[in-house]
Amino acid sequence: MKRRGRGIACMWYPVGYTVTANPSAAVVKMNEDGTATVLTGTVETGQGSLTVLGQIAAEELGVATDDVYVVSADTDATPADMGAIASRTTYVTGNAIRLAAGRAKAILFEAAAPLLGVKPDQLEARDRKIQVKGFPQRCLAIGEVANRAQVDMGQPAIGSASWNPPTVALDPETGQGKPFSTYVYATQIAEVDVDDETGEVEVLRIAAAHDCGTAINPMLVEGQIQGGISMGLGLALQEEILFDDAGRQLNPNLANYITPTSLDMPEIEVDIVDSYDPTGPFGAKGVGEPTSVPTAAAIVNAIHDAVGVRITSLPATAEKILAAIKAQRARATKRIPSIQHFDLGQGSSVRNA
Amino acid sequence: MTEDVKVVQTQTRTVQESLLETVSLRLPAVTPPVTYPIETLVPQTRQQTPAVGQRATRSDSRLHGLGQTKYIADLAFSGMLYAKIKRAGIASARIKNVDTRAAEAMPGVAAVLTGREIPVNSFGATFQDQPVLADERVFHAGDGVAAVAAVTEQIATEALEKIKVEYEPLPAIFDPLEGLKEDAPKVHPPHSNIYATKVIRKGDIEKGFAASDHVFESRFRTQMVEHVTLEPHAAIADWDPNGRLTVWSTLGRITLGRADLARTLKLPMNRIHVIATIVGGNFGGKNEITQEPVLALLSKKTGRPVKGVFTRGEEFMSTTTRHPFIMDYKTGVARDGRILARKVRLVLDGGAYCSFSETTLGKACILASGPYKIENLLVEAFAVYTNKTVAGAMRGFGAPQVCFAYESHMDDIAAALAMDPLDIRLLNAFDEGSASPTGQVLQSVVVKQSLLKAAERFGWKEAGQ
Repeated sequence: MKRRGRGIACMWYPVGYTVTANPSAAVVKMNEDGTATVLTGTVETGQGSLTVLGQIAAEELGVATDDVYVVSADTDATPADMGAIASRTTYVTGNAIRLAAGRAKAILFEAAAPLLGVKPDQLEARDRKIQVKGFPQRCLAIGEVANRAQVDMGQPAIGSASWNPPTVALDPETGQGKPFSTYVYATQIAEVDVDDETGEVEVLRIAAAHDCGTAINPMLVEGQIQGGISMGLGLALQEEILFDDAGRQLNPNLANYITPTSLDMPEIEVDIVDSYDPTGPFGAKGVGEPTSVPTAAAIVNAIHDAVGVRITSLPATAEKILAAIKAQRARATKRIPSIQHFDLGQGSSVRNA
Repeated sequence: MTEDVKVVQTQTRTVQESLLETVSLRLPAVTPPVTYPIETLVPQTRQQTPAVGQRATRSDSRLHGLGQTKYIADLAFSGMLYAKIKRAGIASARIKNVDTRAAEAMPGVAAVLTGREIPVNSFGATFQDQPVLADERVFHAGDGVAAVAAVTEQIATEALEKIKVEYEPLPAIFDPLEGLKEDAPKVHPPHSNIYATKVIRKGDIEKGFAASDHVFESRFRTQMVEHVTLEPHAAIADWDPNGRLTVWSTLGRITLGRADLARTLKLPMNRIHVIATIVGGNFGGKNEITQEPVLALLSKKTGRPVKGVFTRGEEFMSTTTRHPFIMDYKTGVARDGRILARKVRLVLDGGAYCSFSETTLGKACILASGPYKIENLLVEAFAVYTNKTVAGAMRGFGAPQVCFAYESHMDDIAAALAMDPLDIRLLNAFDEGSASPTGQVLQSVVVKQSLLKAAERFGWKEAGQ
């Protein structure tokens, strides 16, 4: 019979390397027509990071996402970056790009200030315009300003910068220190059906509430959460590299190493928790790795809630669950009712206990 | 009939009636439906300001959707050769001899490479304990022992069969708990099998346990898993006549990839050009070089570009995996559910080489106590060599493993105290400004908000009571 259960798991996860410096550098160039090019040494590995980095540059320059083209991952053309690792791209590379874009923008402000009759610090870049703060009608098209900076002022609007998260080394004896600049938090709750005759688990739905600071692109955050859950589900129930006695892998292929397919995926309900980190670009932190962290724990807790067995080694395969259910039943049938339930002399005190 | 009516109308019409008639002639009894433009408007998120917060479509989505994204497998250069690497298939052995003559004699084979030909045959993120190709000794069954470049993939694969390697089997260790013992065979003699250790001490755990109403103990284990990226590790190396090397690669970290290439090949960095294409999934598995120096040297030997694409089998056997963990948790709690003390011991099965074990160990150690306020804490963590597939960076760096342990443990504690699993977490969770296990004052802490938000979305309080 199928038994339903639910399980909760929360987590925390750091952004960036542990103590070690992990700088990112970036170059932002504004073209004479108000579009921009970003140079970054990070690599797009499928997560959509270049889109997010483009949005960060666009926001700082006051233009739209489409106005920015991101050039990446070429050691001859792009500056140093410690790479697509440790959930650091949005936070660390994003901060570098924001700083670099700010420096390019400062040149635009210098070019625009005399034309608008104000000081550079009274200007802001917004909606593809350089405008006077509080007087948005007093403005110039950003392309016109960029062109003037290059052609009249002789100073193309280019900025470069690097950023590294501040950390404090850990004491080797006590581990005390500041290993990371910031952390993200999340909770996932899973609902499962467990067949108590076969041990088979079906994950029905997962509610996932993740903190990533400001969501630079909520759609890509949701995508990361969905992908992370599929990976967590594989860790929880299916995936395992097996070895023979001589240390050789037994299942090095996708026929015998089972990963989740779309048919294994539960309904996923995503919430992005309101949060703002003052150290991140526009308040952003990161989301890549943490999305797969609490999934296995939530599923295993749901299995426990459904059939009362605690699986202490992953993956929680049907065989393991069924063996645990059988062991539990074997224990249950041996249990002899406690004698005190039948002790009439103590009856009233037992009821009160 | 209609003519009769018309006659009557002409006889009695007034100005008003004639006006009404003209209007009613022009207006049908039912007004036709208003037609709207039939095009569907898609929000132009990429055209809108402010850019941050927009659900902007990805800049590469159109190419992905059309199947036009160029991965390494889609790239080809004229005269390009294909490389294959021979895998040891034995977990621990001394290499006595590698005979490549028969392979070299095969028509279509352009070059063969062994570990001894690599200028600096070691690399690694923390310790440089991993050979590019095994030369003296094999440390796990997935180690490469020789490589072939041939005009087709098939010839290269067939040539691997012709390479004869003589091994002298050595004792091997597969269980990290065995590896911890003093008398265990050493994976990397003379070094200890414990190659990294971390500790976190906070408060006084003995006092904490003494003050606790209940103490819980459990052991948890996790397994070795693969990243299973859709695109396998792939690269093309082209060593040009000027002595400049260009490498197209699936690396997720080109800055460090170039540094590793410079070190293993003894080349100045300005003579190495690394280009990462759009990578078909990383998840931590493509953080380090794998076959790139081998392809570079084969290209140098042959004067032609050399391409290598791992098979799915090589993805499993020769690249990094997620660390299996053995986790012992002991937790003291007060009657009301507050955690007063926690002691954790983590043993990581690092496989044959260090790779990103140091980082995984460190992160797991810091995160092991969960997002909870615990005054008295001791976490000890060890990474242990075994003669198995290398464990390295993988999405979460040990966090999914310890989260499985601390959250399973939390539910056991809640059940024993007859508490709601949500409530016990809310009681112990970090607040803004809480101190982390390393004494760091935490900011932008929203763990409680995430608990409440997920519980609300799930219907935790309503369902299953």
